[in-house]
Amino acid sequence: MRTASRGLPLLVAALAIAYPWLVPNYYLVYAGALTVMYAAMATSWNLLGGFTGYVSLGHSAFFGLGAYGTGLLVTRLDVPWAVALPVSALLVTVFAVGVGVAAVRVRGASFVIVSIALVSMMNLVVQGWRSLTGGSTGLQVPSPFPGLHRGQTHMVFFYLFLVLLGLALLSWWYVSRSRFGAGLRAIREDEDKAESLGVPTGAYKVAAFALSALFVALAGGLYALWFGSLDPIFMFSILIGSYMVLMSLLGGVRHVYGPLLGALIVAPAGEYFLIALGETQVHLAATGVLLILVVLFMPEGILSRLTRGRGGPSIPEESAGQRLEGAAR
Amino acid sequence: MTSLRTEGLTKSFGGVPAVHGATVELRDGQVNGLIGPNGSGKTTFFNLITGMIRPDSGRVLYRERDITRHAPHRIAHAGIGRTFQLCRVFPRLTVLENMLVAVRRTRLRELLAGLHDEGEAERARRWLHRMGIEHLEHAEARDLSYGQQKLLELAAVLMAEPDLVLLDEPAGGVNPALIDRIVTLVRELNAEGRTFLVVEHNMDMVMGMCDHVIVFDRGAPIAAGPPSAIRDDPRVLEAYLGV
Repeated sequence: MRTASRGLPLLVAALAIAYPWLVPNYYLVYAGALTVMYAAMATSWNLLGGFTGYVSLGHSAFFGLGAYGTGLLVTRLDVPWAVALPVSALLVTVFAVGVGVAAVRVRGASFVIVSIALVSMMNLVVQGWRSLTGGSTGLQVPSPFPGLHRGQTHMVFFYLFLVLLGLALLSWWYVSRSRFGAGLRAIREDEDKAESLGVPTGAYKVAAFALSALFVALAGGLYALWFGSLDPIFMFSILIGSYMVLMSLLGGVRHVYGPLLGALIVAPAGEYFLIALGETQVHLAATGVLLILVVLFMPEGILSRLTRGRGGPSIPEESAGQRLEGAAR
Repeated sequence: MTSLRTEGLTKSFGGVPAVHGATVELRDGQVNGLIGPNGSGKTTFFNLITGMIRPDSGRVLYRERDITRHAPHRIAHAGIGRTFQLCRVFPRLTVLENMLVAVRRTRLRELLAGLHDEGEAERARRWLHRMGIEHLEHAEARDLSYGQQKLLELAAVLMAEPDLVLLDEPAGGVNPALIDRIVTLVRELNAEGRTFLVVEHNMDMVMGMCDHVIVFDRGAPIAAGPPSAIRDDPRVLEAYLGV
């Protein structure tokens, strides 16, 4: 069993690396890149949500800021994309520290509302600051690989997102094995008690918030370079944050691979709904139905159910229902 | 030497005073009892000392250092540990993980050290062994009996190496055998140099274990002294019995 639990991730990694060569067309490479992007973002979200129990619906703010930061550095200041990407992400991380200091002072439902307010405010700022961001007409970002055709670009970004996913998974694993991670889990269990044992809970939460924002901002920056066209309505959409939450809950927030598994289901399902149902709001309703089904029938997530009673790189169980109840308290 | 001193500590909730002008002094190396009728402000006093709530006025000095408005984690780092009236452990963490949450120093290198760093894990196991629950290190805390959770809570507090330990009703809800065990532990830890402040309703325990007893009534101390003097103090009898 232990060999299988070690071998399976390696097999999945090998399959992921081979994926672009295994599929018959570039559309599936594009869908794969999108899925890996969401997997990286959900895993990043889980650095905050999974460890501390703080449910943020506003992580799309960091996605949008990372994208606009990268796009603006490239288009306005002629910064090379390979420099613009990490610089933008670091700036967003610094911003997240500032936001985090204020946001994590509140808990439960109040924190959820603060996170929603953040993404709404960023949307308004980017739309309103027309001279810099292009406002509602959006921002065009030149392709970093002008010599490649669209399909080849999808392939390059598939691998870039895969590297990002690897980094996010590695960070989660490292934190889960550290005393810092134990402190974060203690915050989820009983914040006041953790504080009384000497855990500087405020600093821990801000650190988790910022680390989580860093990877989401990197994903946003890569997205800007990949798609080349940024629309503030999409970039600062609450739906993107909701996807991160849904993917994590579905796969299991207590498990390092939970958000990845959730993304492997939700992202392709979203693409399927879009193709099958067209550019209507029906695919949003389908996503909502999926969330309800998860809470009703798979409250602890898929991996928690599959690995119940076994060892593995996971943190203790709490159902999605309890999580949502906790958020509502 | 004075371990802890409070000066005119006051806290009201909705205009109702819970602690009112409490001036108390604890000496190093003593086991101090804090007794009083229900609602006399004992737990609020604990929360004020440990920074869980902020006082309206007054000061808390620990080793002559003003810690009045410090955050609870800073007070813990200063060397004050506490347990809670209703036993609080991290239910979904293992016993060993519960022990490794405690932080005395916040150096980055130590925080990023592995959870299973052998030095810290061994120290945690020694405390668990002392509590008699070392065989449960891999169990989740929620699976322990209430008494075992009480011992785990105390062990986790001691993991942070406090010099002053505040115990809020350590005998509450536990069997007589475990009470004896807790009394023995407190005596041993006190002999090693730790100071204690114990809120407790079990008078036999308080009178048998403490060197010094403080009596609270209506949010303020009304008497303090050795157990023999407190036992027959008319103010104490009046507070408890209304006679």
